[in-house]
Amino acid sequence: MNIQTLLLLVGLLLPQLSLADGPPKQNNFPDGVSSQSLGADLWREVRQRDLQSSGVSQVKGVDSGILINAHGDQWARFRTSKLTTYGSIALAAMFGLVFLFYVIRGKIGIEGGFSGNMVQRFTDYQRIAHWTLAIVFLFLAITGLILLLGRPLLIPLFGKGVFSILASASKEGHNLFGPLFLVSLLMMLFSYVSRNIYEKGDLTWLLRLGGSIGDGHVSTGYFNMGEKIWYWIVILIGLVVALSGLILVSPNFGQGRVIMELSHITHTIGALALIVFSVAHIYLGWIGSEGAMEGMKTGYVDASWADAHHDRWGKECRDQGLVISAEEYARLQGKNPAVEVATEQGK
Amino acid sequence: MARMKFYCDAERCIECNACVTACKNEHEIPWGVNRRRVVTIKDGEQGERSLSVACMHCSDAPCATVCPVDCFYTTGDGIVLHDKDICIGCGYCFYACPFGAPQFPEEAAFASRGKMDKCTFCAGGPEEDHSSDEYKKYGRNRLSEGKLPLCAEMCATKALLSGDADVVSDIYRKRVINRGSSAFNWGGNAKITG
Repeated sequence: MNIQTLLLLVGLLLPQLSLADGPPKQNNFPDGVSSQSLGADLWREVRQRDLQSSGVSQVKGVDSGILINAHGDQWARFRTSKLTTYGSIALAAMFGLVFLFYVIRGKIGIEGGFSGNMVQRFTDYQRIAHWTLAIVFLFLAITGLILLLGRPLLIPLFGKGVFSILASASKEGHNLFGPLFLVSLLMMLFSYVSRNIYEKGDLTWLLRLGGSIGDGHVSTGYFNMGEKIWYWIVILIGLVVALSGLILVSPNFGQGRVIMELSHITHTIGALALIVFSVAHIYLGWIGSEGAMEGMKTGYVDASWADAHHDRWGKECRDQGLVISAEEYARLQGKNPAVEVATEQGK
Repeated sequence: MARMKFYCDAERCIECNACVTACKNEHEIPWGVNRRRVVTIKDGEQGERSLSVACMHCSDAPCATVCPVDCFYTTGDGIVLHDKDICIGCGYCFYACPFGAPQFPEEAAFASRGKMDKCTFCAGGPEEDHSSDEYKKYGRNRLSEGKLPLCAEMCATKALLSGDADVVSDIYRKRVINRGSSAFNWGGNAKITG
C-alpha cells in the first residue's frame, strides 16, 4: 500500500467522521429551505407527525384543518377487536361465576327462619334513589350493549333493516336518558354515603371474603365491606362513565375526534365494568340472599335477617328499640306505606 | 374491473375551492355538510401546499369496520357507499375515518346527529339509479351515466384526478417524470428551478 492510497482512504473516511461530530448538513440549499425534499415535509405535516401543526380550510368545522387523523384507525380497531371481545368474555365469565356460586352455595337462607319482626333498613328517599338508578342503569346497559354487540350478535338474527330500527331507538334512548344517570347517581351518593365509610372490622370481612374463609359469619355493621366496595365502584366508575358520556352526547362544543375517541373508550370500559359487577349485585340482592330483596322493596327487613347478615346493626336496632312487631308492620304497610315511621333510621 | 381512486396533486392545487363548490351544487348538499374540503398546510409560509380531500374510498375502510349497524358496502368499482336507511347517525365512522370524510347534518336539539353523508364518488347509493329517492339521499349518480366525479372533472389546474387507479397513477407518473424529479423528491426540484 503506497502513501497515495492511504491518503485516499483517509480522505474518503473524513467526511463520515465529521458527520459523527455535528448534525449532518441535510441539503445544498441556502439557509431557510428546510430540507431537500419538500414532499417529505408536506407529508410529515399531513400525517401530523409532530402533533402540533394543523392546516387551514375554508370549510369550517370540527377538525376540518386536519388532513389525516391517525388515531381513528387505532380507535376503530380497539373497539371492534378488543372491546367487543373482552367485554363479552368478561360478561360471560361473570354469569358463569354467579352460576357457580349458586351451585356451590345455593340460596343463602336464615338459620332458624324469619322471625316476622321487622326493622326499617332504607328510607323512602333511599329506595327511590336506588330504584331510579337501577332502572336508568339497566336501560342504559341494555341499549349500550345493543350498540356495542348488536352487529356480531343481532344482525345475523334479525337482519340489518330490523336491527337498524332497534339500534336507532337504542341510540336515541341512550342519549336522551343518559343524563338521568348522573342525576340518580348523585341522589345515590348523598343518600348512602354516610353508611359507606370504612369501619373497624371491614378489613377482616374482606380478608375472610365475607365468611367464605374460616368459620361462619364475620361481624358487620349496617353495610359489609363487599357492599361498601360495590357502592364506591358505582359512585366512582359511575361518575367517570357519566362525565365521559356527557362529552360524547353533546358534539356541539367543538371537541375534536381524539377527545371523542378517548371518551368513548373510557365510557365503554367503565360501563362494561359496571355491567359485569352489577350481575353479581343483582344476583345477591335478588336470588342469592333470602330476605334481601324485601329490604329494597318495602324498606323493611326481618330482624333475623339483620342479625344474620349485619349482626352489629341488628343488635343496635334491638338496643334502640327500633324493631317493630309483625302486626305493627302490617298496619304500616296496609294503611299508609308512605307514612314516616317514628323509628326512622338516623334519628 | 376498474378500481376508482381520487388523487390530488399538491404541486398543482391552488386552493380555489371549486371542487368543494361543484360538489355542493351538483348534489344539493345542505348547509354545514361538506363532502369535500381543501386543506392548506403551512398557510402563508414557505412550502405552502394545498390538498383537496374527501372520502378516499379505502380498500379496507375503517368506517365500515366500526359501523355498529353495518351500513357500508363496497361496489364492484371499489367505491365505498353507505345505506342511509340503515345508518343511525352515531358518528363512529367520523371518529374512525382518517380523512374526516363522514359529515352529519345537525337535526335536533344539542346538535344531535342526523344520518351520515359523505362523498359517493358521484355514484349515488343503494336506491335505483337516477330515482328521485337516490338523488334526495345521495345526490347525482354521474358514474352510471359514464361520467367521472364533478369535482375532478372541473378542476381548473387538473390537480384533482379521479378514475381508475391505473389511469390516475399513469397520469401522475408522467407528470413526475416531466418535472424532472423522482417521486420521493418532488417539490425539491421545483424549488430550485423556480
